[in-house]
Amino acid sequence: MKLSDVLETTKKEPHCGLCRIDFLGTGVCSAGKKHGFVAYYPEGRMELARALAEHEVEPTEALRDIVNSCNLCGVCDRQCYFVTQRRPTQAQHALQDYLKTLPPEALKTTPEDDIVKGLRAIVGNSWATNDPIIIASYQRSVIKQKSKGKYYIAMPKTTEEIVAIVNLANSHKIPYIPRGNGTFFGVALQTLLAEPATIEQGIIIDLWRMKDLEVDPESITATIGPGVTSFELQKAAHAHKLRANVAEAESCVIANAQNLGIVTTWSNTYGWGTDNFIDAEFIDSTGTIQHLSDKDIPNPYAAEQGLLSLSLIPSVIITKLTLKLHQILPDEEAIFVPFTNLSDALDLAHELAQRNIGVSLAVLSRKYLTEFISPTHEIAEDFNHIAEKYLKLNYIVDVICDKYSKKTIEELAKVTFGQTMLKSLILGSSKLASMKDSSLLKMIAEEEDPLKAVFGGPMRKHFEKGLAASPKELVKVFDKDLQEFFEKLYSKPELTDSIWLHNFRILPCRMERKHMWMYRGGYMPGDKETILKVVDALEKPAQQYDIDGAFGFLSYLERGKLAHLEYDYYYDHTDPEARKRVNKAIVESWRRQFAIKGVTPLEFICSKGLHRKEHIIYPFLPGLSEEELGHFEELIETLFGGEDTW
Amino acid sequence: MVKYLSQEWAEQAKKKVLTELDKAKDLKNMNASLLNVVQNIPPDNKTIYYYIKFTDGNLDELITSTDESIKQKQADFIVAGDYTTFIQINNGQMSSAMALLKNRVKMTGNKMKALTITKPIDNYNRCVNGVPTDY
Ligand SMILES: Cc1cc2nc3c(=O)[nH]c(=O)nc-3n(C[C@H](O)[C@H](O)[C@H](O)COP(=O)(O)OP(=O)(O)OC[C@H]3O[C@@H](n4cnc5c(N)ncnc54)[C@H](O)[C@@H]3O)c2cc1C
Ligand code: SF4
Repeated sequence: MKLSDVLETTKKEPHCGLCRIDFLGTGVCSAGKKHGFVAYYPEGRMELARALAEHEVEPTEALRDIVNSCNLCGVCDRQCYFVTQRRPTQAQHALQDYLKTLPPEALKTTPEDDIVKGLRAIVGNSWATNDPIIIASYQRSVIKQKSKGKYYIAMPKTTEEIVAIVNLANSHKIPYIPRGNGTFFGVALQTLLAEPATIEQGIIIDLWRMKDLEVDPESITATIGPGVTSFELQKAAHAHKLRANVAEAESCVIANAQNLGIVTTWSNTYGWGTDNFIDAEFIDSTGTIQHLSDKDIPNPYAAEQGLLSLSLIPSVIITKLTLKLHQILPDEEAIFVPFTNLSDALDLAHELAQRNIGVSLAVLSRKYLTEFISPTHEIAEDFNHIAEKYLKLNYIVDVICDKYSKKTIEELAKVTFGQTMLKSLILGSSKLASMKDSSLLKMIAEEEDPLKAVFGGPMRKHFEKGLAASPKELVKVFDKDLQEFFEKLYSKPELTDSIWLHNFRILPCRMERKHMWMYRGGYMPGDKETILKVVDALEKPAQQYDIDGAFGFLSYLERGKLAHLEYDYYYDHTDPEARKRVNKAIVESWRRQFAIKGVTPLEFICSKGLHRKEHIIYPFLPGLSEEELGHFEELIETLFGGEDTW
Repeated sequence: MVKYLSQEWAEQAKKKVLTELDKAKDLKNMNASLLNVVQNIPPDNKTIYYYIKFTDGNLDELITSTDESIKQKQADFIVAGDYTTFIQINNGQMSSAMALLKNRVKMTGNKMKALTITKPIDNYNRCVNGVPTDY
């Protein structure tokens, strides 16, 4: 197999980072675990195969080592296929065959320079490199593609080692940047945010080895290192029957905390930003170790607000975080309220938020529901079409609550469904997709209230029966050789358990299986009028620049006083034209959001996560005037050049 | 070639701005003063203060000095960063706004006012880039 044969796949590599954690119980790539650098993980092999195919890097001796470290056990195919339907072993086969074509002298050695020597003296020989092949595997997940800068990768194990790396970087006057699991970079580096989000040369501090994790069930807290992912923390918390307020499985909790403050569907109850952080240890730009609890540190709560507060590079490296965990109620249940229009969904969700009903509470879009629970993107598209055209199902108020709250919701809502139906939808999604133009669906569409007919009325039984939901049925759409594995996997209760899926969030990366996406949205007052204005402000640029835009999810915060909205732009990041259009849509969406009072676009929250949220959100920014928006456009031009240069 | 931030450099930079930039079009008739604190200059890590003041788009002052007393001029904005970053700004590799975004420089001063001068300051920097400079 040639590198060019898999280029279509490797170019699309989204760097979701899931193959670096054991989210399916398969174990993790053994070569990656042993060597640490991204290059040894499936994710890095994909990127490397692409970079070699596109002649962005010359082979070095490290390539032989990377290729030979893989025993083709196939774990990555199972993991990656579950999320994206891709098979990283194909990239490995292509790399193997490519290596065979190279004469031994083609594999260059990489001379050590003073900086890499210094790094190796700090972290040990195996954990620092300046090898271009290893560095190339970090492209698009912390290093800009085709960047000409000189980079180093270091994988420290302790806070003291990071201090020494910062001092080394300062003495050589080169920049450095921390990397968790690279998933924020994976999204941002495809867009005009690439330049401000990363460094043009210098030291990548890959924090993956720093996996200290301790749960203290007495104080209901956990203390973690910067390499601990949400999945790992949640698993440790669950062992004590506790829950962490974390986002998607593969993100490093500390990266997420500093970057966005961690906003989840649990945030109306558990809080967000500083609500959950007790103490942090961090290293400032002079290499000094500080703690949030130190009395005489510079005010850690001070944060800029507004247009000029955009800062995508952290000013400190957090090396330890103590955060709150939460007790799990014994009678938690999932309940879903389907809606045709957003306005009605917001009314109910806001009412629940104000009354603090629901431990987890969100308004989810049809797009999220169908993309997350469908086994393939094609099925998701059919499901999406069916939901829209026949079921009139566009939004869902998605709640996890106790039995008392459940009763209240059932009283308030016209129609609801629960775990049993969700399980049927997950396991029956491929069957549902095949029913696209069936008479059953046509009958449903003709009902006065299709949602009620399907989820609450007499047709519910026929509908569920029609889905013939079973793991065996579902996996028929998978590659033959993987069907047995997936049948067993989908037979595990957790894979269809709404609460488990909310806790462990292994599904959101399915958004990346067809195309890349870019998150839009941000924080805003929780009133419906503002939310609808923001949705419009995000929708219009998507339409204007021919981008596939869709509402993602909305969480209320602080009993509905505030809301966090995620709206997504989907686009083909391998197409330069599509990238340009998405950049234009991003800028236009900023412009439109800043014109609305109280709205802070998501990027303007970045790198302020550990700061007290009040300083970021309050006072509500007044909507910018036309004149100020004019200055904003000038700022954008100064930062990124004119539109034609993006 | 003149040495970056030397007296000769300051003189040439000022002359170039006065002759080449249009007060209204390029400098937007701005009224602002800015003190750049350029730190860690080799070989002995000294600091140079680089002060500019515009009145109605006219560059009144461009001073470089190692003397801290220049701080008494009470500039509207103070921008502090490493010598290496200021080189990147001066040779056009990075705009000062991008340096701010990348946490390479720290700025104090009214952010809303800063927004109004990003473009003229960028034009100023681009013009000064044209002075043949030795770092
Ligand atoms: C599919 C998907 C869904 C998401 N959903 C949510 C959501 O619901 N809620 C939410 O809050 N976020 C969400 N996010 C955002 C995501 O969780 C954050 O962007 C998070 O930072 C990603 O973690 P990471 O380890 O991959 O970070 P990286 O991409 O490695 O790093 C992100 C940023 O953090 C910095 N950083 C990394 N480690 C440290 C450290 N130790 N100290 C200081 N800075 C550091 C990096 O330099 C970078 O600026 C989502 C992202 C994806 C891809
Ligand atoms: S898409 Fe995700 S799971 Fe697949 S190789 Fe890339 S990072 Fe790993």
